[in-house]
Order: sequence, then C-alpha cells, then structure tokens
Amino acid sequence: MSAARPGLFGRSGLGVVSLGLPVVMFVLLAFGAQDFFSVENVTNVNNQITALAIVSLGQLLVALIGGMDISVGSAISLTSVILVSLGSWVAVPVALALGVAIGLTNGVGVALFGVHPLIMTLASMTFVQGLALLIRSGAGGTVPTVLVDLAQGHVFWLPAALYWCIAAIAFASLLLYGLRFGLRLFAIGSNAQSAALNGVRVAGPRLTCYVLCSLSGVVAGVYLTGRIAAGDPSMGQPFGLDSVTAVALGGVQLSGGVGSVLGATLGTITLGLITNGMNLLGVSPFFRGVLTGLLLLCAISLQRRKAIGI
Amino acid sequence: MTQPTADFPMVATPRREAIVARLLALPISYFGTLALLACAGLLRPNLLQPFLLLLILRQTAPLGVAVLGQSLCVRLLSIDLSYGGVAMAVSYIMTSGYLPLSEPALILICLLFGVAVGATNAFFIARLNASSVIVTLAMALILGGVVTAFSQLRAPGDAPAFLRYVGQVRIGILPIAVLVWCALLVPVAAFLRTSTFGRYVEAIGASPRAALASGIPYVRVVFLAHVLSSLFAVVSAFLILGFVGVGSLSIGADLALNSLAAVILGGVSFGSDRGGALGPSVAGFMLMFCFNLLTSFGLGEPGKQMAQGAIIALAAVAYAVRGGKQEK
Repeated sequence: MSAARPGLFGRSGLGVVSLGLPVVMFVLLAFGAQDFFSVENVTNVNNQITALAIVSLGQLLVALIGGMDISVGSAISLTSVILVSLGSWVAVPVALALGVAIGLTNGVGVALFGVHPLIMTLASMTFVQGLALLIRSGAGGTVPTVLVDLAQGHVFWLPAALYWCIAAIAFASLLLYGLRFGLRLFAIGSNAQSAALNGVRVAGPRLTCYVLCSLSGVVAGVYLTGRIAAGDPSMGQPFGLDSVTAVALGGVQLSGGVGSVLGATLGTITLGLITNGMNLLGVSPFFRGVLTGLLLLCAISLQRRKAIGI
Repeated sequence: MTQPTADFPMVATPRREAIVARLLALPISYFGTLALLACAGLLRPNLLQPFLLLLILRQTAPLGVAVLGQSLCVRLLSIDLSYGGVAMAVSYIMTSGYLPLSEPALILICLLFGVAVGATNAFFIARLNASSVIVTLAMALILGGVVTAFSQLRAPGDAPAFLRYVGQVRIGILPIAVLVWCALLVPVAAFLRTSTFGRYVEAIGASPRAALASGIPYVRVVFLAHVLSSLFAVVSAFLILGFVGVGSLSIGADLALNSLAAVILGGVSFGSDRGGALGPSVAGFMLMFCFNLLTSFGLGEPGKQMAQGAIIALAAVAYAVRGGKQEK
C-alpha cells in the first residue's frame, strides 16, 4: 500500500522541495562563496558526490518497492578491503560476486520470507561489516593501478568521476524508464497485492532490486577505493544512511511507488552542496549533520503522507 | 477430570498438541537464550556462575530499558532510531560541566530534554505523517552534530557520583541497575496488559485504519509512545553513563540498532506484540550473553559482529517462517 500523496509530477515525487533545495543551495553558494565556480571546486564536488550518487540510485530501486537497504555501506567497505587484499584480476569479480550474495541474502529474506527490510539489511550490514574488519582491521594496502586510473583519471579533459555518474544515471534510467522492469517496480511499490493480482510477478523484481542495490555498493566501493588509493574497512559506514537521506531529499517515498532518478540525483547533489558550502564558508564540519538533519525534517514535512508509520 | 488412558488417546493428544503449539509460539529469544546457556554450560561453564550472570544482567540493563521504548514504537508500526543522539546529548549534559548545576537538576534537565526530543519526533510522525525512520534518523543526526560541535570531539568529564552509584553498586547481590530495569519493566508490562492505552496500542498495531475508524485516539497514542520512548532512552543513557563512569561521545552509539534487534528477537514485530514486554527483555539478555560468550571464545570485534548479524538474520527469518511476517 502506498501511503504517498503524489507530488507535482505524479509518481516521480518531484516537488517544490526536491527541485528547489539544490537550486537554493546553488544560488546561496554562488553569492556567498567566492571559489564556488572555480574548476577545482566543481571537480571536487563531482568527485565527492559520485560514490553517493551511485549508491543512492541503488537505494532508489529498493525504495521504489517500499524497501530500504542500510547494508549498502558495508558492501562498500567489504569491496574496499577485497580490492587491496586480492590480485587485481580476481578482486573485482570476487567483490561483484560478494555483492550479488549480499543482495540475494537481503532479497530472499525480504521477498520470500517476509522479513522487514530494515531488520534484514541491519543483520546483513552487521555481518558484512564484521567480515570487512576480519579481512583487514585498518586502512591501507595497495590498490591496482588500473582502478586508481579509472577513478582519478581524465577523459577528454573531463574527470573520470563525471563518467561514473553519467553511466550510473544512464543505467538507472534505462532500468526504470526503458524496460518493463521499471514499470513493475512502480506497480509493486504502489500496491504489491494489486500488482500480483494483475499478473505482475512480485518476488523476482523485489529480489533483483536488492541485488542491484548491493551491486551499486560494490561499484561505489570500487570507485572510492580507486579515488583514495587505499582500502578502508570502515569506508562505507556513512553511506547506508546518507543514501536514504539523499533519496528522501529527492522526493522518493520510502513507502514505495513514488520516486525518480532525477530526484535521487538532486538529493545527492543537495547533500554534496551542503558539505561543499560548509567547507567554502568555513563552517565547522561538525554542523553538517545538524544541517542535513534539519533539511531532512523540512523536506519530509512538505511531503505529507496519508498514513502514520515507518 | 478424565485421565488420558491407552483406551482414550484422543483426550491427551489435542492437549499435548496445544502445549507444543504454545511452546512453539514463544519468542525466538527464549529458545535462543536456553541454547546459549546450554552451549555455555558445555563449553564455558564459568560463564554460568551467578556472579558473572549478574554482571551480564547489569550490562543488559541499559539495553533492556531502551528495548521497552523501542518495542512500544514498533508495536505501533513506528520506530525510534534517535537513541544514539539522545544518549550522546545526555552524556554531554551530565559530564561536560557546561551547565554548572546540581546533579538532581541535571537529571531533571535530561528528562525534560528526553520529553522534548520525543515530542518533536512525535510531532513530525503523528501530526505531519512523516516517515518515522527519516524523522528519528534526522533527530539523531541533529543531536549528534550539535554535541560534536559543542564538544569539538573533546572527551567530557566523569559521570556524576549518583549515576556511578546506580551503575556500579549492588544491593545484596543484585546490581542497582538491574533493579532499575525491573522497576521499569514490571509496571510497563502490567500497564500495557491492563490499561486502555495498552488495548489502543494493540488495536493500532493490528490495523491502523480500523483503529482510526473506531475512534481510537491514534495520534495521541503514537505521540505518547514516542515521548515515552525518548524518556526510556534517557534512562538507558543514565545507566550506561553510571556503568562506564566517564562521559563519552560514543556512548549508546549501537543502542538503536541493538534495541531493534532485541525487539524483533523478542517476538515483537511491526504491528504485532506476541512477545509481550518480557520477550524483548529476554532477547536483550540473550544478545549480551551471546557477546560475552563470543568474547570468551576469543572472538574479536569482527567475529562478534558477524555472529550478531547472523543471529539477527536467522531469528528474523525463523520468526517469519513461523507465520509472523514482519513486512507491512
């Protein structure tokens, strides 16, 4: 059952808040921070939000079916330690296989056994984080050069991070708007029972969403590890909740059936601009959480639902 | 009364089946605790010494208190993830010396602070129909950010003497913290079982729409539950602070997720309260006993985390398989 009221643009969830917030942030920073438009700063913002953008698009898929995946941060951490612990040709396939395993575990628990998504992904988050710490207890290690180049390099004078973002957005858009899969997700998220009665298979797409979300964590982990050129078992910790924050700021309803790729991307950009703006304006980074929390409260207050609940 | 005999097996069988069915309907936490105690009896009998069991009970007390609030929210199809932020703020208020007031005044301020946090959460959740996950998560972010900004990551000072007394001293063999836990658990259990409020909670959990249509004060009940939940989080933070003896910015960081795990293991799920008030409390003890058992096996933090995750997942799946599907 969807508890959502449609926004300005129907099931996309885009509304005044999700569209207006990044614009307001952009205008404020354009006037308030001198170096905001410098090439270096724009590149920095792009580099900083790429991993979150990838994960948020994965989280979007899960949110559309009324789920939530907080284990995605642990998938990033596990990927990071795998990449510095195994040989370059083995590491990426192993990380992808583990991502599929995490997603399947979450998907089977939620879609087949009916475990609440928050509980199932909390359990896998704890397990996978422990596994990452077991493989490597601290930051360090050597990252394969090819991955560093893929994350830090430039193609046609543009930073590689931009291509990672474009690829992730294009893939998510294809899934949601170019294939029947996307239509099924909106149907399941709006009303799973009704979708099932209309011949839509519910369990398969749900399971696929969790697998894709975990894989988005793996891809973000590959990018992040390449970018900082070191492995870190706690690298992904903030991403589980940050990705939920980003999709919520982008107008995606956690009750399912309402959301868009554009919304998730705008939510990510808003979070990125908050961090960047605070750096440029010399505000204590400790206040980032405060500002994010307040923005989140404002955003959800303006996105009223019909029912009380999770 | 008819005694079951070999000639009339039909009388005994349904009764036995009923007993087995009732046993199987008990929360996972009961079986889990028994299994862990048996495992400890075989492999680490030292852990079953009364002294150590009481020590584990004392460790469980803060989680047990937090579980009372979390289970109340979960029964109402809501959730409270702001415990970490609340505990952090309470730790700062009580130990930083920022407010030069007497201990009772500081405790009162913390309790009022809990009411304010709960009321704010409840306002967004019950009045504005916002997602409880997002609201309480945002609250945790705000509180954590404010405390970190104020403290600049400097460790606060010692816990007040009264809290240290509550957290560390025993009356006879019983730690005071355990008595505080029981003093909250018993009235809360009795209240939920006998009061109109308890019936309202049950009705809303079973079907919010039906409850609303029946004229049950839905908004007021959810509001009160969230205020109580934050108050329990404050008391839980007091107990941790007293037990540890010094303030810390990481106090209660895992309180929200552990309490959620205990609630599910204890048979309370979103909208369902099969485990009552006791099931989640037993689950809290089970989790703490499990951590201690794993420590005694020499398992480090990573191994403990893996075991914790596996236990939560298996328990949640087992609960779902037994017919208590949690997804709503």
